[in-house]
Amino acid sequence: MLEINNLHARPTEGREILRGIDLAVGAGEVHAIMGPNGSGKSTLAAVLAGREGYEVTEGAVTYLGRDLLTMEADERAREGLFLAFQYPVEIPGVNNMYFLRTAINAQRRHRGEPELDAGQFLRIVRAKLKLLNIGEDLLQRAVNVGFSGGEKKRNEIFQMAMLEPRLAILDETDSGLDIDALKLVARGVDQQRASDRAIVMITHYQRLLEYVEPDRVHVLQGGRIVQSGDKTLALEVERRGYGIVEDAA
Amino acid sequence: MNAVVDFPVKPEARPYLEAFGRDRHRDDPDWLARYRNRGLARFAELGFPSRRSEAWRYLDLRALEQRPMLPAGRRADVVTAGARQQLAEIGFAGPAYRLVLVNGCFAPELSQIEPLPAGMWLASMAATIAERPDLVRSGLEAQSWDTPRPFDSLNLAFFADGFVLDAAPGVVLERPVEIVHLAGDAGASVHTRSLVTVGAGSRASIVESFAGSGDYWRNDVVELRLADHAELARVMLVEEGADALHLDEVAASLGAGARLSSFVLLLGGRTVRHEAAVRSEGERSHCDLNGAFLLSGRQEANILTTVDHAAPGGETRETFKGVATGRAHGAFQGRITVRPGAQKVDAHQLSRNLVLSPRAAIDTKPELEIYADDVKCSHGAAVGDLDEAALFYLRARGIPADEARRVLIEAFAQETLELIEQAPLREHLRARLAQRLATLEE
Repeated sequence: MLEINNLHARPTEGREILRGIDLAVGAGEVHAIMGPNGSGKSTLAAVLAGREGYEVTEGAVTYLGRDLLTMEADERAREGLFLAFQYPVEIPGVNNMYFLRTAINAQRRHRGEPELDAGQFLRIVRAKLKLLNIGEDLLQRAVNVGFSGGEKKRNEIFQMAMLEPRLAILDETDSGLDIDALKLVARGVDQQRASDRAIVMITHYQRLLEYVEPDRVHVLQGGRIVQSGDKTLALEVERRGYGIVEDAA
Repeated sequence: MNAVVDFPVKPEARPYLEAFGRDRHRDDPDWLARYRNRGLARFAELGFPSRRSEAWRYLDLRALEQRPMLPAGRRADVVTAGARQQLAEIGFAGPAYRLVLVNGCFAPELSQIEPLPAGMWLASMAATIAERPDLVRSGLEAQSWDTPRPFDSLNLAFFADGFVLDAAPGVVLERPVEIVHLAGDAGASVHTRSLVTVGAGSRASIVESFAGSGDYWRNDVVELRLADHAELARVMLVEEGADALHLDEVAASLGAGARLSSFVLLLGGRTVRHEAAVRSEGERSHCDLNGAFLLSGRQEANILTTVDHAAPGGETRETFKGVATGRAHGAFQGRITVRPGAQKVDAHQLSRNLVLSPRAAIDTKPELEIYADDVKCSHGAAVGDLDEAALFYLRARGIPADEARRVLIEAFAQETLELIEQAPLREHLRARLAQRLATLEE
C-alpha cells in the first residue's frame, strides 16, 4: 500500500532531516515508528501528508501504486490517506459537523458517489460516535476550539472513523494524554484495524503500543530507520532507551 | 437657466441648485420648504467633501463631481418587473410589517403595513408629513447644523420619501419592520429620509435592505431616537447594483437605559459608504454596533462610526469585519469619544480584516478620545490573510484548496452574525451572505 524508498527531505529553509528512509507497509498491517525527539518523526508525517514548507530532495513514495509526492495534500486525503495531527488546529467559526460533512462530501464527489444530505450524514455520525464513546456536543462546537487535549485527539480519531481511510498516519496521537484518555483513544484506533487498511503510528513512547499492538516496529534515528522488528522491539526500546539502536546500527 | 441665489455656491453644487429651481416640491408645507431651502444653501456652500477631510479620505468621489447625478423626478411610480424580482430575492421571508420604496418613493402595491398594533405608527415619510407633521418637524428642529454634512444637507433639499416608524411609550413590536429600498434609475440620484422614534420602554426591530440595478446614486439618511429604556435592533443589508454608489448616514440618540443594536452587512454596490453616529445622552445606555463588508472586483466600501458618550455609565460594543479580494478596497474608521463627566463608560471596539489578494487593501483606523478618568475603553485592529495552519488542516481532510478557503472566509464573516440576537433576522442575513460568498471571486 505504501512504499517509501530512500526518502530524503528537509524544511524549505533548513538542513536535511530525513536521510534515506526505506519502509513498506502492506494492507491490514499496523506499523509503529518510534524515535527520540528530533529524529524526523514529524517531518516524515508532514511529508507524507503533503504539508507545504518541506522539500523532498531524493527518493520516492508510492501509495496504492501512484507517485504520492506529485499529489496535492487534499488529493492525497481524498485518495484515502489520513493524518491524525499531533497538534490539531483550532478553527473558530467552523462548526465541527459542517466541517466533517464538507470533508466527506469532497471525498464522495471524488469517488463519483452522491453527496450525503444532513439526515444521512447524521445517522452515520451517531453510529460512529457510539462506537468511540464520544458525546454529540463535541460536534456542535467549532472545530477543536476550546477542546481539551484529550478531546482534540479523540476528535482526530473520530474524523478517521468517519473518513474510513486506506492509510492512517497517527502523529504522536498519544502525546499529552493521561492514562484514561490514552486508553479511550487507543481503543478507538484499535477498533479501526481492518484488512484493507494500513495504520502507521508515530510515537515517542511505547505505552500506546500496549493497547494497539503493532505488527512491525521501526526505530527512527537521525533521519533513517536504524532498526526494525516485531512488537518486542518496542519493549526493548522502552527498557533500554534509544541507546540500543546505536549499538545495533 | 441659472437659479438666483444669495449665498456662496461651489461649482459642483450648481447643477443641483438648478434642478432644485426646476423641480420644486410644490405641495410641501411652508416649514418643510424652509428646511429644504436651508439644506440646499448649506450644500451649495459645502459642495462635495474632499479626500483631505478625514471622514472622506478613503472614498473617491471624483466621478460624482465630474458628472452631476440629479434627483429623479417624483413620480407616481411605475413598479417594474425588475423591482418585483429584486424584492423576491432580497425580501425577508418571515412575518414582518413591510414597507417598500422604489426609486425613493413609497410603493403601496409592494408593501404590507397593516394591521399595526395600537400605539405604533409606520408610514411613508410623505404620508407622515401630511398626517403627523409634528413628528417630522420636531426631528428637524432638533438637528444640529454645526458639523458639515453635505450629503445630509443635499438629502434634506431633495428627499422625496422615506419611512417613519414611531412607537408610543410601552409598545412592544413582536414582528420586525421590513424596509426595502429598490432602485433602477440610471444616472440619477435617489434621496430618502427616514425617522424612527422609540418611546420610553418600547421595543422594536427593523430590517432594512437596499438593492437595485444600474448606475444610480443612493443617498439615504436615517435618524433614530430612543427614549429612556427604549430598545431598537436595526439590521441593514446593502446589496446595491454592481454600478451603484450608496451613501448612507444614520444618526442615533440614546436616552437613559436605552439599548440600540445595529448590524450592517455590506455586500453589493460599486462604492458604498455607511456612517453611523451614535450619541449616548442618557445614563447607562447600551450600544452594539456591528457589521461586516465583503468586497471583490473593484468594489470600495467605507464604514465610519462615531460613538459619543455624553452621559455616565454607558456601554458600547463594536465589532466590524472586512473581507477584500480582487482589487477591492475597504476601510473602517471608528471613533469612540467619552466626554468629561461621563464616568464608568465601558466601551470596546474591534476591527478584524481579511485581505485575500495582493491587489486588495483594507485600511482600519480606530480612535479613542477620552476626557473622563474612570472608564474602561479598548480597541483592537488586525489585517491579515487566511490562517495557513487552518487551511492545511481542512485540505488534509480532503477539502480542495479553493473550497477550504471559502469555508474559512465564510466562518470569518459569519462569526459576526452571531452578534444579531433576533434569530430570524440572523438567518436571513446568513443566507444572503452565503450567496455572496459563492460568487466572491478568488
